[in-house]
Amino acid sequence: MDHKLFEQLQKEGIISAESAEKVRVISANRLFSVHWELKTILYLGVLLLSGGLGILVYKNIDTIGHQAILAAIALGCMGCFYYAYRHKLPFSREKVPAPNTLFDYILLLGCLLLITFITYLQVQYTVFGTRYGMATFIPMIVLFCTAYYFDHLGVLSMAITNLAAWMGVSVTPLHLLSQNDFSSFPLIYSGMLLGVLLIAAAWLSDHKHFKAHFAFTYSNFGVHVFMIATLAAMIATLRYGYALWFLLLAGAGAFFMQQAMKKQSFYFVFIVTLYVYIGLSLLIVRWMSEVVDDTIGALFAGFLYFVTSGISFIVLLVKMNKKLKKA
Amino acid sequence: MISYNTTALDNRHIQDEAESARDKACITPEELAAIKEAYPSDLYSPNMYIRFGIFILTLIIVLFSFGILCLTQIDNGSETGFGVICLFCGIVTYVIGEVMVKEKRHYKSGADAALIWSSGGFILSGFMIITEVEAHPLVYCLLTLLLASWFVLRFADVSMTIVMHGALLASIFSLLIDTGTAGKVIIPFAVMIVSLAVYLLALKLSRTHACRHYTNCLDMWQCLALLTLYAGGNYFIVRELSIEMFNLDLQPGQDIAGGWIFWVLTIALPLVYIGLGIRKKNRILIGIGLILIAAMVYTIRYYHSIAPLEVAMTLGGIGMIAVAYGLIRYLKVARHGFTADSSDERHTMEAVQIESLIIAQTMSQAATPPADQYNFGGGTGGGGGASGEY
Repeated sequence: MDHKLFEQLQKEGIISAESAEKVRVISANRLFSVHWELKTILYLGVLLLSGGLGILVYKNIDTIGHQAILAAIALGCMGCFYYAYRHKLPFSREKVPAPNTLFDYILLLGCLLLITFITYLQVQYTVFGTRYGMATFIPMIVLFCTAYYFDHLGVLSMAITNLAAWMGVSVTPLHLLSQNDFSSFPLIYSGMLLGVLLIAAAWLSDHKHFKAHFAFTYSNFGVHVFMIATLAAMIATLRYGYALWFLLLAGAGAFFMQQAMKKQSFYFVFIVTLYVYIGLSLLIVRWMSEVVDDTIGALFAGFLYFVTSGISFIVLLVKMNKKLKKA
Repeated sequence: MISYNTTALDNRHIQDEAESARDKACITPEELAAIKEAYPSDLYSPNMYIRFGIFILTLIIVLFSFGILCLTQIDNGSETGFGVICLFCGIVTYVIGEVMVKEKRHYKSGADAALIWSSGGFILSGFMIITEVEAHPLVYCLLTLLLASWFVLRFADVSMTIVMHGALLASIFSLLIDTGTAGKVIIPFAVMIVSLAVYLLALKLSRTHACRHYTNCLDMWQCLALLTLYAGGNYFIVRELSIEMFNLDLQPGQDIAGGWIFWVLTIALPLVYIGLGIRKKNRILIGIGLILIAAMVYTIRYYHSIAPLEVAMTLGGIGMIAVAYGLIRYLKVARHGFTADSSDERHTMEAVQIESLIIAQTMSQAATPPADQYNFGGGTGGGGGASGEY
C-alpha cells in the first residue's frame, strides 16, 4: 500500500487520521515475503526426489542394491508420515490449516514414496494378486484417507486422479483430452459416471459440512470430466442421437450454472458457458453438414452462426458477470 | 499516449489500494465507500475468467466475420485482393478496439486484447501476402516491432510486450546475420547488451510517475530482458544455435571459440541475479534467478554428465528440500527484512487450488513405473485402461 496516497486521502477528509496512521505503520513495517519462492523450491525438491527415487528403484530392480533403496524409501516414507502425525493439528470437519509451510510438502513426499513402495511390491512380489485394478485401488484408498485425515488438497487431487485411473479414465489436467480414447462408449460412460460421482461428492461435502473446502476440487474435476464425456458422446454418436446428448449437456449446463451462481464462482460460470457453447456449435455444424447441400450457402450460414452466437454468448457472459458482482 | 482515460485509471488504482487497505483492516468499510464515491471509475473490467471467455468469443467473432468477407470475394479473388482484405480487417478491428475503449469504457475486458491481437495479425499477414514474403526478414521484424510497440503504448497490453521484445531482438538478429563472420560473432554480445539496456531502461521507467499505467508491462519487460540477457550468454544456446543457424561444423566435445566466456556467464549470471535480487529486495530478479538456476543445471548436465539422471534428481531433490527447510527455519523470525510468511492472504485460497491442480498434473506420474512392467491384462482388466496412467 502506498502510504502517501492515504495521507492525501486524509488531507481531503475522506479517511480518518487514525486509519491513515494504521496504513503508515503497516507499510513502514512491511517485510519482503519469500513465502512463494520457498514453496516453489520445496515443491520442485519433492518432485525431483520422488521422481528420482522412483526411477532408481526400477533401474536397480534386479540388483542387490534395490533392497537397500527400498529400505531407504520405506524409512523415508515412515519418517514423513511420522513428522506429519507429530505436527498435525487436531482433526476437524472444517478446514484445518497446515501447522507450517513444510508440513504440506513432507506429507506429499510421504504419499509419493508410499505409492512408489506399493507399486514396487506389486511389480516384484505381486502382493495384491494379478488383478490390475487392485494396484491402483490400494493407493487410492490410502490417498483419500490421508487427504481427509491431514486435510491436504494436493493429496486429494492425487486421490481423484487415482480414482479416475481405477475407473479407466485419465483426468490428469493436461492429459484429459490427449490420453483418453473418447470414441469408445464404455470410456464415455465411465467418464460420465465419474463426473456424476465427483459432483455428488462435492455436493455432499458442502451440504454435510464435512470438509466443505474440498468441494471445489471435486466439482472442478467432476464438471470437466462430465462435460467432456458428453461432448465426446455427441461426436461419437451416429445419425441423430447427438441431439439427445446435447439435451443432456444443456441440462447439465443449466444445473451447473445454477450452482455456480449460488456459489458465486466466476470460474464455473466461464467453463460451463464455454462447454455449452462448444456443444451448441457442434450440434449446429453437424446438423447443417447433414441437411444442407449447397456448399457456399452452408458456409455462409455457418459463419453467420458463429458471429451471431459469439455475440450472444458475450452478452450472456457480461450479464452473468454483472449478476455475480451484485450478489 | 495511452488510450484509456487516465483519470479513470488513477481512480481505479486508488480504489484497488483502498480495497487492500480494507482487507488489512486499516480503513473502515464506510471509508472505503467514501473513497469509491470521491474517486469514481467507470471502466469496464470483468473478472479474470469472464475476461478470458470474452477474449475467446471475440476472437471467434472476428475470425468468422473475416471468413464471411472472404466468401463474398471468393469469385474475383486474387492474392493481392486477399492481402487487401487482410489489411482492411486489420484496420477495422483496430478502430473497433479504440472505440470499445473510448466509448464503451472497456479496460482489460478481454475484448480489447482480442481486437488488437487480431488487428496485428491481419495487418502483418496482409503485408506478407502483398509483398509475397520476398522482402528482407528485417522488414517484417521491424513492422512487427512497430505494431507491437504501438499496441503497448496505446493499450498497455502485457502480452504485446512479449511480442515487442521478441521483435526487437529478432530485428537485431536479422540485421547482424547478414554482416558476415564478424556480425555473427558479436550476435550473442549484441543480444546481451541490448537486453541489459532494455532492463535498465524498464527499471528506470517503472519508477517514474509518467509510466504508472504501464507497471505490468514494464515488469514483464524486465523479466524478458533478464531472460534474454541470460540466453545471449548461455553456453548451450550459443553453441547449439551456432551449429543450427551458421552451419558451424562442431564435433561432439569440441568447444566453440571463446567457450570459456559463455561458461562463466552460464554459471555466474543466475547467481548474480539472485544476489542482486536479495540485496535490492527485487522479486523479479530473485524469481528469474531461481528459474535460471534450473537452466544452468541443465546446461552443465548436458555437456558434463556427472551422475546418472536419477541419482542427480534424487540428490538435487534432497538438496532443494534441505535448502528450503534451512531457510524456513532461519526466517522463522523475520531477518534483514525478509520473512517466510505469506504477505497477502487474500489470494492464498485461489493459489492453493491452482497448486493442487499442479500437484495432480505432475505428481500422479512421478511415481508410476513404465507401463509395460505390470500391465498384465493388456490394459483391459481395469475397465478400459486406455490411458497408460494408473
